[in-house]
Amino acid sequence: MILNNPSPGRPLTQTQRWSTLFTIILALVMLGIGLNMRAQITGAVAAYEDTRIGIRLNYPEGWLLDTNSSDYVFRIRDMTRAGFKTTIQISVRPVSSATTERNVADQLARSRVLTLQDYRVLNIGMGTLGEIPVEIVRYTYNDQSTSPFLQSFSTVVEGLDILTIQRGQAIIISFRAEADSFDDEYPIFETFLNDLEF
Amino acid sequence: MWQSIRSTLGHWVRLLGWCSLLLLMISGPYHAQETAVSPDQDVDRLKRATVFITQVESENLTTTCVGTGTLVSYDGLILTNAHHTVLSESCPGDILFIALTLNVGEPPVPKYRAEVVQSDIGLDLALLRITQDFDGRLLERDSLPILPFVPLASELTVGIDDTITMIGYPDIGNSELSSLRGTLTSFVAERSGGEQSWLKVRTVDAESIPGTMSGGGVFSRAGELVGVLTSAPVPSGTSSSDCVVIEDSNIDGFINNNDRCVPLGGFISVARSIESAQPLVQAGSLSLQLNTLTTPTFSVQTQGEPSISTPFFAPAVVNNQPTTVLRSAPAGTDSLFLFFDYRNMTPETVYEVRVTVDGLPNEALSLPPVRWSGGTSGLWYIGTAGQTRPNGRYGYRVFVDGELAAEAPGIEVGGPALEAPQFSNVTFGLLDENGNLGGSGYVLPTGNTATARFIHRNMTAGQSWTSIWSFNGQRITSSQVTGAWQDTGDINAAITNLQPAGGLQPGNYRLELFIDNSLSALGDFIVAGSQVGPLARVFTNIEFRRAESLTAEPVRTPGTNYPDGAHTVYAYFDWEQIEAGTLWTLQWSVDNQVFYRQTVPWSAPPSGEDYTMQLTAPGGLPDGTYKLELLINDVLLAESEVSIGIGQLPIDRFNQSDGVRLRGQIVDVETNEGIEGVAFLLISELFSIEDFVWEENQLYALAITDREGYFEVDRPLEFDSPYSVLVEVDGYLPLGVDGFEISRERLAEEGGNPFELLIELTRD
Repeated sequence: MILNNPSPGRPLTQTQRWSTLFTIILALVMLGIGLNMRAQITGAVAAYEDTRIGIRLNYPEGWLLDTNSSDYVFRIRDMTRAGFKTTIQISVRPVSSATTERNVADQLARSRVLTLQDYRVLNIGMGTLGEIPVEIVRYTYNDQSTSPFLQSFSTVVEGLDILTIQRGQAIIISFRAEADSFDDEYPIFETFLNDLEF
Repeated sequence: MWQSIRSTLGHWVRLLGWCSLLLLMISGPYHAQETAVSPDQDVDRLKRATVFITQVESENLTTTCVGTGTLVSYDGLILTNAHHTVLSESCPGDILFIALTLNVGEPPVPKYRAEVVQSDIGLDLALLRITQDFDGRLLERDSLPILPFVPLASELTVGIDDTITMIGYPDIGNSELSSLRGTLTSFVAERSGGEQSWLKVRTVDAESIPGTMSGGGVFSRAGELVGVLTSAPVPSGTSSSDCVVIEDSNIDGFINNNDRCVPLGGFISVARSIESAQPLVQAGSLSLQLNTLTTPTFSVQTQGEPSISTPFFAPAVVNNQPTTVLRSAPAGTDSLFLFFDYRNMTPETVYEVRVTVDGLPNEALSLPPVRWSGGTSGLWYIGTAGQTRPNGRYGYRVFVDGELAAEAPGIEVGGPALEAPQFSNVTFGLLDENGNLGGSGYVLPTGNTATARFIHRNMTAGQSWTSIWSFNGQRITSSQVTGAWQDTGDINAAITNLQPAGGLQPGNYRLELFIDNSLSALGDFIVAGSQVGPLARVFTNIEFRRAESLTAEPVRTPGTNYPDGAHTVYAYFDWEQIEAGTLWTLQWSVDNQVFYRQTVPWSAPPSGEDYTMQLTAPGGLPDGTYKLELLINDVLLAESEVSIGIGQLPIDRFNQSDGVRLRGQIVDVETNEGIEGVAFLLISELFSIEDFVWEENQLYALAITDREGYFEVDRPLEFDSPYSVLVEVDGYLPLGVDGFEISRERLAEEGGNPFELLIELTRD
């Protein structure tokens, strides 16, 4: 049986129309505010400056900062990331007037092959950082948990070093991330480089 | 409407709050302890700090020697025996694999490689440092996790009959760690380390301690390392129950007697006192290296077979010398020492002392086969002090490399003290104008006359007595004086002189005193240096000079204070009139903690300038006040200090072994599966989560979960310290807790270490 409802619907009042419109607008505004807040949170940066080394930079807020090591002068790690913690670090090495960026790259490769498991250089090329000519080294290695009491698989890590010699010292800017997500994470490093002054 | 929105929001906030609270709840232990925890010590901690050491030949990767060791620092220093780790004829391997106790109750798992950084073959102690991963990759200092370790006791705090725990591996790595309860039955005194050189140990049920536990730790009730279990090395090539063949070392396709056997060592009943190991560990923990740069012009070489001679007993030891010679001792005697001369001994020589009482072996007083630690030749003693001897006739036999080398005439203990004539307490010096004996007692300057003073008791007028002087082991026949005793005092001092033709030459001298042709007392002294008043001036002009690196030339100007630090320090001194082969002692300490002490034969020319040593460390010398001391016959002859940096050793905040060992698992609350790669941040008690600005120096520790979500904090937490915990990972709601603290009582309630957490995360 088919029932027809012949009674016509009541037209919306002016107030109801405004209310509907207001609700939609409010929802859109709230969504916009939320997206803006999210962008602010995820894109928030912290400033860092080391006058002794001569660097000034911004880094993603919420990354764990460490400046107390003999191996590097600055290191940040994304500790909220599961698996290998995406890392950006800056280290400084003394050089002579005859040392070239390529020499530094070769030294790094020689020392890393002794300490990093299955370390391999993927390629070495030239590039620029702003207007500064730099040596760019891409490499890979297997990262393992250091605790002997835990059971972890190795993680394939991809790394990128940017090497330049400035003011009589080699500056090595390194970016390391899980190989599977290296390209996804790389924009963070690009942003970091854009803000870097040395 | 706003009210409705606020109400809804409030509802959700409350709900979220309750959910968060539930999620923030960190549960207590979720599975039972694997090991029963002793009421008086944390056995779990001691076990985790114990490692299994396999020495391997790199050529064909076959096992050459095995043993146990104990981690004594968080950065991978291992204390063990030298005989199964240092490359030798019987242990020719050049790789040391370190296996850890990952799970108590299971055999060890190889994880690292180590190198010998300090060793003393004679004391049979070695200090290893973990330097490579198992696959041979170098491990940088800060890439090594903080490892569980046991601190050395600062002093020997155990006494006879105290309960001790001995921990080690009972075989060649097939079984779980063995933890044996026992007692300390006696101390054995020896010239190498004084009254408490050796700890005689026995398990509660008299169970044998296998030889593979050699190098393992002896722990006090307080959980401190007080001794190193030690067995004598098994000679190479002897296939027996003490040495087993397990691999095809000659790669001929068969495993038989043609293959190298792995020495297991005999059963253990003794431990080297930890006091002997302290300098090694101190030097190793600071990475200090001392290099002697003066080229030796003389080397002491053994000429012939090792030999033991002139065994006799003494009731006490003063400056390594016997006070008198005993032929019997009264009831209640609590100190008795066997003295003997030795020649042609080497650090590889194995010696043993077997003691019988009324013909029956006495294990507590005997010393099982151990390595020799006294150098090539000299006067040695072994015995006990402060331990009452039961009455009986004591027999001592000394064995060298398994052969009987000397048998002392038996001594009777018991009965009343005899009023027998006796000489004792021989000391040496120079007489002043008033007839007083001056000097250091055991080191005399070159000159014309040496005077000895000794005490006599119960001598009667007319009694026959003899004095004979010796020089470098040869009696000076012209010095022999025999006569009738003229002094009639009951207890008094007498003197006798040596005036050799041509004066006193540098070297080793001895005076022997006889009563009725029986040896009653003897004393050794050394002549060296020139005369300054009654004292010998042997070492002079100690200077320190700083260098910027290991290879840089030292600065020209000497100094004693380098407030801006020093990478390397050179030390110099001048010396005069020391005969080649004279035993001298070089001792270095930092902040009054000895890190180097060696007594070796003098090998430079008799007199000279600028004897040079180089003290360095890979990253530069740690701040501290370094003291150089030069001794002969245990007499301090010269000393000087140099201050580096602030003049005080830096405090190492990681050097803490006691506390709460925290581990746990982080799981997904829905699936209950562990989450891999999550960071567990333990924020220092100085900060709350609100104060935390993601700087690593605000963290007390950091741990990352493994493939099953398990994590382990590598630093022990301090008791009652309010830490904050933060767990934040993409895809899950963050979790944070302030005021996370564990008291001793709570830890005990939860079954002791480790304290386990279960953290549940909710997806966002």
